[in-house]
Amino acid sequence: MDPVADSPEEPVKEIAMPRSLFYLGSAGLLTVMIVEAIAVAGRHLRYPLLGALEIVQAAIVPTACAAMVITTLCQAHAIVHLLLDRLPQPLRGWTRRAGWFAAGVLFAALCTGEVWLTGDFWNSFEETDVLHIPLQPLRILVTVTAGLLAAIFFHRAARAERA
Amino acid sequence: MSGALGISALLLLLAIGVPIGVAMGLVGLVGMTLLIGFEPALIKSSVVLFEAVSRYELGVLPLFLLMAHLCFAAGASRDFFAAAAGLVGHRRGGLALATIAGCAGFGAVSGSSLATAATMGLIGLPEMRKRGYSTALATGSVAAGGTLGSLTPPSGALIVFGIIAEQSIGKLFTAAIIPALTQTLFYMATVIVVCRWRPGIAPASPRLPWKERIASLVRVLDLAAVVGLVLCGIALGWFTPTEAASVGATLSLALCAWRRRLNRKSLRHALASTLRTTGMLYVVIVGALIFAVFMSFTGLAQQIASFMQAFQGQPIVAIIAIAVLLLLLGSVLDGLALMLLTTPILLPIVTGLGLSPIWFGIFLVRTMEIGFVHPPIGINLYVIQGIAPDIPLARVFKGVLPFLAADFLHLALLIFVPALALWLPHWLS
Repeated sequence: MDPVADSPEEPVKEIAMPRSLFYLGSAGLLTVMIVEAIAVAGRHLRYPLLGALEIVQAAIVPTACAAMVITTLCQAHAIVHLLLDRLPQPLRGWTRRAGWFAAGVLFAALCTGEVWLTGDFWNSFEETDVLHIPLQPLRILVTVTAGLLAAIFFHRAARAERA
Repeated sequence: MSGALGISALLLLLAIGVPIGVAMGLVGLVGMTLLIGFEPALIKSSVVLFEAVSRYELGVLPLFLLMAHLCFAAGASRDFFAAAAGLVGHRRGGLALATIAGCAGFGAVSGSSLATAATMGLIGLPEMRKRGYSTALATGSVAAGGTLGSLTPPSGALIVFGIIAEQSIGKLFTAAIIPALTQTLFYMATVIVVCRWRPGIAPASPRLPWKERIASLVRVLDLAAVVGLVLCGIALGWFTPTEAASVGATLSLALCAWRRRLNRKSLRHALASTLRTTGMLYVVIVGALIFAVFMSFTGLAQQIASFMQAFQGQPIVAIIAIAVLLLLLGSVLDGLALMLLTTPILLPIVTGLGLSPIWFGIFLVRTMEIGFVHPPIGINLYVIQGIAPDIPLARVFKGVLPFLAADFLHLALLIFVPALALWLPHWLS
């Protein structure tokens, strides 16, 4: 697997992505980094940061959601190229569209499931144990993300169809 | 039957280029719908999605990625290579040895095979060609050395395995230390043997004065200290892997600033690259977890495990059979797909045979690494050819052959001596 796909010694290039998503994801990521580092230092200095784990859990959700949308917009999903690259051009285009459509179906289904779950938990006021961080906004964010991913994939499949 | 059909459908979707995470998630969702009905399948899959994106342990992934990108920005790759080249570059084959040592050092901060091969290729390859090294040895050492990025902790592949297999990431990192070190030694021994056999392929270079060598070593001390602190902290229980990753990322940020390499552009690039890769991994993990739930409903693993009871007395035979299966699958699937497809099926079998899941994680990643350098996939070979397009692919493959032989020997050692992976975590616990 290749978690770090860039070649760092190349000149730094701007990666095109919506600013709002970049700031949302970065804010979550930096929050996780700082909170955990403070928690470690605090624990070893005998000043434990209570609820650090819950802050991390809450901050990682916007990071993950923004990251999944960014990856989709950048078309950076992991794909097996063995057969795809050897197909003739029209067939390759068709299979790519089929792949995007399949992705749209999956995320539309997941979005439906998330709407269902969010509705079920609406009146139960889920929250974390120590800091009482409400989980409802996080569920809504995940639902919106799944819907957004479905929309992007369907749009890409449809646009490619017209082209 | 349903399990076999699911795997066939998954292979078909992967072959036609459906994103890996999407293919696994879709097969899992449709398969569960057929087995338990639409409503429970939908709810189960959605629960998996929310649990995955809000899981504390998964925070380790973006944090280690951020640490890697910040280390890149701090100039880690060039410094690791320079330090190794200063020490052994003047010997016959010394630059190839330095490339492998640089790959091991850089692999520890990058956690990725492709990034290690690409980066060290850009640095080591032109240097070796300039000094008259055979293109086969030069490309072979970079392609093979690059695979060290997958096993050398902290490794992205081991994190993903730990999450899918629900195993301690800290134990996996500790277990990977000795196999990664021995793999590096095996590759170095290969270079030495090849250079003894054909001395003309790797001429000796001028010796650097000790002052310069020490200076290049001093330059990597801070980077090595960050990596060492992260690994020691995990191994000795000072902090959890997620905490270790945040400490590593924070220290890397400080290191970047200390080296005057931190600016708005480099920080933005590190964050953007981290987010882009994180999203890819989250989709893959969500898909793999949905697929794993489907697999647990099919009972396929239990059926194969009961078939494997025949090997109860001789688990080595079963493991060799699994290794052959993984190597065959690894020649048509990429590493990530191979791991995600096989873990839910093979892990219950391996534990049923009385073997450690931690050992299996190391074994799986080691097998996956071999797939990075053997055709027809051999992604590292294509990366190297992308860096040096004038070198034919056949030449790159010829260069990697001696390292492939070393890989098979090392894999055999890991199979016959499981303590290679299990001794250190056991001793530290």
